Amino acid sequence: MEWIHLFETWIWLGFAATGFAILFNVPPRTLWVIFIMGALGGTLKLICLKLGTNIILSSFMGALLIGFLSVVAAHLRHSPPFIFAIPAVIPMVPGAFTYRMMLGIIRLTGENDHTIFLQLLQETFDNGLKAFFVLTALSLGVSGPMLLSRNKSTKEIKTSKIVTKIFGSKKASD
Amino acid sequence: MILSEKDKINELCQILLEVGALLMETGANTFRIRVTVMRIACTYGYRAELLITHHALMLTLYNKESDQFFSRLKQTSSHRVNFKIVSGLSRMSWHIVEENWSLEMVRKEIDRLKSGSHYPRIVTLIMVALAGASFCRLFGGEAIEMLVAFVATFVGLFVRQEAAKREFNPYLCIFSAAFVSSLISGATVYFQIGNNPEFAFATSVLYLIPGIPLINSLLDLLDGNIINGVVRGINGLTIALSIALGLLGAILIYNI
Repeated sequence: MEWIHLFETWIWLGFAATGFAILFNVPPRTLWVIFIMGALGGTLKLICLKLGTNIILSSFMGALLIGFLSVVAAHLRHSPPFIFAIPAVIPMVPGAFTYRMMLGIIRLTGENDHTIFLQLLQETFDNGLKAFFVLTALSLGVSGPMLLSRNKSTKEIKTSKIVTKIFGSKKASD
Repeated sequence: MILSEKDKINELCQILLEVGALLMETGANTFRIRVTVMRIACTYGYRAELLITHHALMLTLYNKESDQFFSRLKQTSSHRVNFKIVSGLSRMSWHIVEENWSLEMVRKEIDRLKSGSHYPRIVTLIMVALAGASFCRLFGGEAIEMLVAFVATFVGLFVRQEAAKREFNPYLCIFSAAFVSSLISGATVYFQIGNNPEFAFATSVLYLIPGIPLINSLLDLLDGNIINGVVRGINGLTIALSIALGLLGAILIYNI
């Protein structure tokens, strides 16, 4: 039962990512890759959430997976990696948090009651902070492979080389 | 056609600025713009120095051998996300490096990319509406709520496209789209149709979220392009504000 539910979520996540990909007018040859990447990243986030991690770390995990997959996809389909990565992480963008924060700010301006004001302020602040940190986690995750490999272009990234690059090469001449 | 040195540097400068401005308009981050422009300039034997802002690009080309330099400024036109152009320009920059394209070929390729096709409008509308329905399902909605989210997204996106076609202020386009979407989905909350109409109401405006400005903003900040990052971030927040105002309109009308 659990697995069927997970598979269903997988499909909806994929459609959400593909919808945005079409809105951003990506080349048609990248569409199915975005579907799979969006679904996998979103699923990892949901699994992390279920295991009790908080939303920020879960989003980071999902985005990091998408970041690494986008490098692989970029090699396979000859497009820059963020063409794949951005539509795929869009379903994880904290849109709901962001506009709830904005809605909160608008409501705060018209609120006179002290206790309601404080409660509203707390909610607004909470939503705003979460939105900001989830967003930071997403962009860190997406640019993770680039940051780690210290390369200017994905074309130069070879998976086997990443490890030596991070931990430093043993040859002095390298 | 053999170009003189002066004509060549002039043409190259125009092409590089065109590439940079197109990338900026279609949603690439600052780092990618810089890398792409410098890569092309390097291939033709020039050094490029760039100043990239949201509304204008400034480029100086320098040739060490002839000790010539050339500066130019170009404004970007309206911003509209189009990843096909970003992808095409990136591929083109690699073709230039690997196959030594002439400037004429580059110019032709840019013109081809600029006149490139979009997805048919109905496909975009249906797929984005499907994405809205998927969000609703992920929030826990059922068939009725998903249908409401689908219709609300479909009509809202249609309104946004029509408003954009008539060249209204972009934030006004987003406001009207959010307002129409939430009016449609808010009606089901008002009349209590379905089990959890709030899910449809919350997800019907998600297709408007400023994902690209916000992610690009953080990517720019991480790269150290602080000003561009802040500009993009404020742009994203203003979009979020327009969405919230649209939602607020529906909330006030239905008194939910």
